[in-house]
Amino acid sequence: MKNHRFIISSQLFVYMLLLASVLTAACSGSDGEAEEENFSSTPGGVFILNEGNFNSGNATLSYYDPETKKVENGVFQRANGRKLGDTGQSIMIWDGVAYIAVENSGIVWGIDVETFKVKGQVVASSETKIINPRYVQIVSSTKAYVTDLYSPYVNVFNPKTFQWTGAIPTGQEMNKGYCSTEEMVQVGKYVYTNCWSYSKKLLVLDTERDEMVREIELGSWQPKSMKADRNGKLWVITDGGYTMESESFGDDVPHLYRIDASTGAVELDQALDTDEANVQIEMNSTGDVVYLINNDIYRMSVTDTHVPVRPFIKAPVDSNGKRHKLYGIGVNPRNGEIYVADAVDYAQAGVVYRYGEDGVLIDQFRVGINPNHFAFK
Amino acid sequence: MRLSSFILCCFLFPMLMMAQEHRETVHLEDVQVVAHRRLKDVGVEMTKLDTVVLRDNISLSMADILSKNSTVFVKSYGRATESLVEFRGTSPSHTQVTWNGMRINSPMLGTLDFSTIPAYFIDEANLYHGASSINLLGGGLGGAVEMTNKPVEKRGWGAQFVQGIGSFDTYDDFLRLTYGNDRLSSSTRLVYSTADNDYRYTNYDKKTDVYDADGNWLRSYHPEERNKSGYFDDFHVLQELYYDAGKGNQLGLSLWYTHSKRGLPFLSVDYKDDSDFKNEQQLNTLRGVLSWEQRKEQTKLSMKGGYSYSDVGYEYYTTRQEVSTSITNSQSYSNTAFLQANLDWMLTPQLMLMGGADFYYTHVNSHDRSPFHIGKNFDKGRPEYHVNVQARWRPVPIFSLAGVVRQEVYRDDFVAPIPALFADLILYQPWNLVLKASIARNYRYPSMDDLYFQPGGNPDLSPERGFTYDAGLEMGVKKKWWTLRANATLFDSHISDWILWTPNTKGFWEPSNVKKVHNYGLEAMLDGSVLLAKDWKLSLLANFAWTPSKNVGEDINDNDASYGKQLCYVPKVSANVNARLQWRSWTLAYQWNHYSERYTTTSNEVNYITGRLRPYYMTDLSLEKTFRLRAIDCAVKGVVNNLYSTEYVTVLSRPMPRRNYEIYLTIKL
Repeated sequence: MKNHRFIISSQLFVYMLLLASVLTAACSGSDGEAEEENFSSTPGGVFILNEGNFNSGNATLSYYDPETKKVENGVFQRANGRKLGDTGQSIMIWDGVAYIAVENSGIVWGIDVETFKVKGQVVASSETKIINPRYVQIVSSTKAYVTDLYSPYVNVFNPKTFQWTGAIPTGQEMNKGYCSTEEMVQVGKYVYTNCWSYSKKLLVLDTERDEMVREIELGSWQPKSMKADRNGKLWVITDGGYTMESESFGDDVPHLYRIDASTGAVELDQALDTDEANVQIEMNSTGDVVYLINNDIYRMSVTDTHVPVRPFIKAPVDSNGKRHKLYGIGVNPRNGEIYVADAVDYAQAGVVYRYGEDGVLIDQFRVGINPNHFAFK
Repeated sequence: MRLSSFILCCFLFPMLMMAQEHRETVHLEDVQVVAHRRLKDVGVEMTKLDTVVLRDNISLSMADILSKNSTVFVKSYGRATESLVEFRGTSPSHTQVTWNGMRINSPMLGTLDFSTIPAYFIDEANLYHGASSINLLGGGLGGAVEMTNKPVEKRGWGAQFVQGIGSFDTYDDFLRLTYGNDRLSSSTRLVYSTADNDYRYTNYDKKTDVYDADGNWLRSYHPEERNKSGYFDDFHVLQELYYDAGKGNQLGLSLWYTHSKRGLPFLSVDYKDDSDFKNEQQLNTLRGVLSWEQRKEQTKLSMKGGYSYSDVGYEYYTTRQEVSTSITNSQSYSNTAFLQANLDWMLTPQLMLMGGADFYYTHVNSHDRSPFHIGKNFDKGRPEYHVNVQARWRPVPIFSLAGVVRQEVYRDDFVAPIPALFADLILYQPWNLVLKASIARNYRYPSMDDLYFQPGGNPDLSPERGFTYDAGLEMGVKKKWWTLRANATLFDSHISDWILWTPNTKGFWEPSNVKKVHNYGLEAMLDGSVLLAKDWKLSLLANFAWTPSKNVGEDINDNDASYGKQLCYVPKVSANVNARLQWRSWTLAYQWNHYSERYTTTSNEVNYITGRLRPYYMTDLSLEKTFRLRAIDCAVKGVVNNLYSTEYVTVLSRPMPRRNYEIYLTIKL
């Protein structure tokens, strides 16, 4: 009798297992098919590129409407049913298309700025010389340049058709790790690019011949960000590199430079505060005011000879006296409003602060992980 | 291999063996019951994995075994890729691991990749949860895994060969040769595993757009892709020698060499062509432990000496024409010497004293030859001295107490003493129902990467500090027809000065003592077996863990929304069930495991798709038939992994394989 009870209970157990199997079979650990949303964005909106975490594939794109103060996060994924990729590096807008370089995915997306739908992409395929794309510069309606962290080339593609058309050798020594190229600005027929990784150089590219024609060497290491003003001057900020026990790649001191683009002459060289915060530079739409992050936000005229002692906007300080580390800056060319990003702990939704041209806080909102670049419609 | 043909192979082929069948009687294995609870185990919260579990699927790594048979969380980056073990929502570096008494965590990272440990090489594994790890060693703020080898009991020569063939061009070969006599015992084990591992998956992270001849968009779909650069080629050899010198003296030698070459799989959001890139890790490891043990009536004295060598190379480069470059080419060499002495002294049947001392000297040389990470990471040596004293006392038959104190010194840096207190109270003897409790303070000293890695290493780091309380019930009953063991433990743990690496603006990462974490929860286990009828036996092992693990550290600033949130990638709930039905020489095994939702951000964002990983349920099924051909014991086993072809990820952008198959033929002399 006892044995019989065991058999019955065991059979019951087996049935329960089978039932559990069937029930759990329907449960999936994948996100599966995602619905594509239809967007129709308002004019004058702001794209915020959220870098995400390296090797996680969680870069995202946010869209903010300054009129309604409404933010939509993850719009690339929501509009296209696919992920943006791994390590979103930069975003810029030209002729109704936002070009987004997603570095570690090896892709440059082009999306419609109204619908956020993909219009095309340039991929780091075998036919190209793209490895990790960083920034896009539109040279003409048929020519765009793409810089790269690892490739010793600036790649060229057609921004309308997204066809790769060629590559410009930068002539940098690959065995020294000096071949990275970063931001680009165009002055006349020349495009200037700064070499950030283990370098002190700016490179000058002739857009007519698609050739690297000149190098400008700075005194400080790792030029991180660069803009051009209305007078044809280059404004460059370095992070100063770093020193290790065995070797030195800089002295940790960021520098701000103003350089005459045509001659390469350094007109201004100022050492900045050393801290953990990011350094980045922005220019207003008329090219006469420079904004830079160096812990706080500073504003100066392009004719000034030094960075002001007092910041234009102090980085927010909370009630416990903790200062926010600023990660990215953008200036709206329509109205001069300033957008500043706080990456918080680099592993959660970052916060964007929107300031008026006068430096008064207008709004703040949550975006994705590590917001680093802004693009204005 | 198609499903239908595989089913034929795996499940019908063994039936053909019926003609060869020899009847086997199913027995219940010995069950550990607490009636004879050892003083050594007073208050200890331990999961024991015996050979039945470790050999159930011979090709599994210890990472697979632990994820399917215990409450720990295994953070796996894919099949045969890095798999890290986390106890109770702590970090992988809070799991200390020993092999034959020697700690084998990477001295650089403080972690151990369990995917490089074949379960075939381990004869017994014990998991010490929380405070219980202090019985073994310090620094296990989450717990410790003790892996050991045992001398073969069989006299004379023995041999076992297993050939496994599986999906994705997977080939597994296992060979064991043994010899034993009254004094000497030898075992040689070899494992060779290789696979293309290029499994196909639907890539929900990408879409392919379809256009008409005029370039108008027609539709898009998620492409079927294969796992790029997921190949592996692993070879292991383990030689053991044991000599019984008489009068309670035993000598032992274990030598383990591993060579592993593994591709590091591309992310599902990577658009580069894998034929243009090589992303590979090569590992050579040699571990050796020489031991002497002397057992007397009241004492056990043991001395061990060990050595561990490891070189790990990681290379990422492109072979593409004109842009060929090495992006990462790092190489690290670590050498560790180890000495240990332990004395167990049973003063009376009610009182036991234990003491021990460990010495480690580790030297690490780490550098990178690629142009993008120029220079030497570090070249440092570090001595460590650990001593411990332990007392275990049973003043009355139903109550026992134990106290442990450890002291660790790293170079000339004295870490604060590590104390732990354990207690047992037998509540109901017929069920062997025992109430257990423990309290401990623990410290984990920073790893060598944390301190010295250039650039970024922080020599000013403090040890991580843990404070843990445990209380639980355990029972065990063994009857003629059935056995049952169960336990349930509540725990509460606080870790402060948690070391976290964060990126800086120069392009590298830096560690600091920033986090404070509160872990608490419940771990439960049920293990039973029943003889259903003559020749029929059903066994069941189920584990369940509920492990909230929350950040309670100071905010970075007032935008920090991570306070009180679950740590990234730590599931709140994990569970598994293993059922085995045996009939004569047939065994049907069913494995089911589940991890709940995991967050990928510290603020537990749920409003975008990359913010969390969905829960998943995994089911594996196997059927084994043993038979005898003349004097040779044979077995054929078919395994279906991921029976329902669940599409899932355990880490963002790392798709795991869908349903896949393996078949094994075992020959044993």
